[in-house]
Amino acid sequence: MKIKDIIFKSWIYISGIIVVVVTFGVFLYFLYKGIKVVTLEFILEAPGGMPLGTEGGVFPAIMGSLMSGLLSGLIGGLLGLCTSIYLVFYCNNKKNQKYMLHALQLLAGIPSVIIGLFGYTVLIVGLGLNKSLISVTLTLTVMIIPFIALRMKKALEETSKDQFICSLSLGIPKGYTIIHLVIPNALKYIMTSLGLGIVFAMGATAPIMFTGAVIIAGVPNKLTDPIMALPYHLYVLVNEGISIEMAYGTAFVLIVLVLLINLICHFIGNFEDV
Amino acid sequence: MKKYNENIFRIVITIGAILSSILVLLVFFYILNESLPFLKKVCWKEFLLGGTWSPLSSNPSFSFLPMILGTLYVSFLAIAIVMPLGIGCAFFLSFLVKKSHSKVILSFIDMLAGIPSVIFGFFGLVVLVKFMEQNLDMVTGESVLVGGILLSVMLFPYVITGCAETLEKGKEKYYIASQSLGVSKWYTMRVIMLSYAANSIFVNLLLAFSRAVGETMAVMMVMGNSPIFPRLLGRAETIPSLIALEMGTATYKSIHYSALYTAGLILIVIILIIQFIAYKVNKMGSRRFK
Repeated sequence: MKIKDIIFKSWIYISGIIVVVVTFGVFLYFLYKGIKVVTLEFILEAPGGMPLGTEGGVFPAIMGSLMSGLLSGLIGGLLGLCTSIYLVFYCNNKKNQKYMLHALQLLAGIPSVIIGLFGYTVLIVGLGLNKSLISVTLTLTVMIIPFIALRMKKALEETSKDQFICSLSLGIPKGYTIIHLVIPNALKYIMTSLGLGIVFAMGATAPIMFTGAVIIAGVPNKLTDPIMALPYHLYVLVNEGISIEMAYGTAFVLIVLVLLINLICHFIGNFEDV
Repeated sequence: MKKYNENIFRIVITIGAILSSILVLLVFFYILNESLPFLKKVCWKEFLLGGTWSPLSSNPSFSFLPMILGTLYVSFLAIAIVMPLGIGCAFFLSFLVKKSHSKVILSFIDMLAGIPSVIFGFFGLVVLVKFMEQNLDMVTGESVLVGGILLSVMLFPYVITGCAETLEKGKEKYYIASQSLGVSKWYTMRVIMLSYAANSIFVNLLLAFSRAVGETMAVMMVMGNSPIFPRLLGRAETIPSLIALEMGTATYKSIHYSALYTAGLILIVIILIIQFIAYKVNKMGSRRFK
């Protein structure tokens, strides 16, 4: 074996092992550190202690994150689905299609902190909304529309074109075909994209820092209530040096929540196949 | 009746599509519009090539140069770390590990992409920064180096998934032919596969780079955030951190506020340039191997 091959071989083995160790290391680290902190009370209680956050739990933050994530997922998902269906099946003008696609890709590339800046000046300063669930939801929606639309477009394009054309030539209307044939076929990928979108929204910190997340709030009852959010809570705990223990717990809850939503969406998507 | 439904469906879809397009364009033009006052007032030489960032002093000076350099520095560092590791790992997963095992490992690496960046920032703070302080005898562990290492871990999924996909394709195309010609496994990987995948690896790295440039929370938490010229073991600030840290304190419609929007605009321009290059390279590559 030549010396070049040996170098190549060792490079691949070493980098492969490093990546695998680091990846599992990150997960195991939070699992190990978090499992000691997370109890039923931690999940079901509001933060307490002095300074705030040193005791108690993260229940309002979980609810705040879930509500804002799911709401923006709902709005963003619907708009994203409409956009992708329009792009794939209804847009007859190739030029318009190209422009729309470029615009979506442009927004998908904009860092989330700029969306936060936009949301802050337009919603909070410009329109005079309170820091609230609705301002967070709208900001996150703007952020995830291109993210979801581009993924759903890919999913719709990968469905069978033959089936679609057969259905049309049988005289079945286009809309009916899309609802009853195309969407069920692509459901798996549509749900996965939606799940990724919700997870993306729930994990975002920069956009919500100034648009609505506050340090302490109850579970929101209406759209204009301020909310707590897990990622922002974690950031405050760490940045103000309030409690590293509680931060481990919060990180653990956030990771588990994110993975759970991914799994649920995956499950719903696969349900039709069975 | 059917006809009626059909029209409603078409209208709903079209309205949804138009609504999202308007939103998208609104964001972009709003950013452009809000940064105009700053662009008009301050000469481009000052904010691109000036020395210091002190927007609130009595004689304010606005220079994004330290932040631009900081952003590029930490992103290049991350790419320099993730490039050998990511490519090596993609080879490792596609050629040396059983298919079922590599699937599991890949899905775990993919899951890294779903972890919110604030958690990575926390991880960097309690593990990497602490390690630097204890073992490298530094006053503060917050540095560009830590930011780069942390970013490189966050980029794993974007680099490895794409590269592994390309290598799978290449394996289907050339691997068996090359084996039956009696070429050794390692030579096939080193020469044939590497040159086959070179283009798409480059595109993946560029896209990862544009992600690194826009990353906010993780980098902000471990880099110390001082608007000074970046050094490897010193503090620095990136453009996204600048925006995130100062957007709460800038007075509405002041020049400082407009400057922050300009910073955002510069960030978008950097990302657009990178994505444009990636798009062109990708087009060239797909032509070459047809």
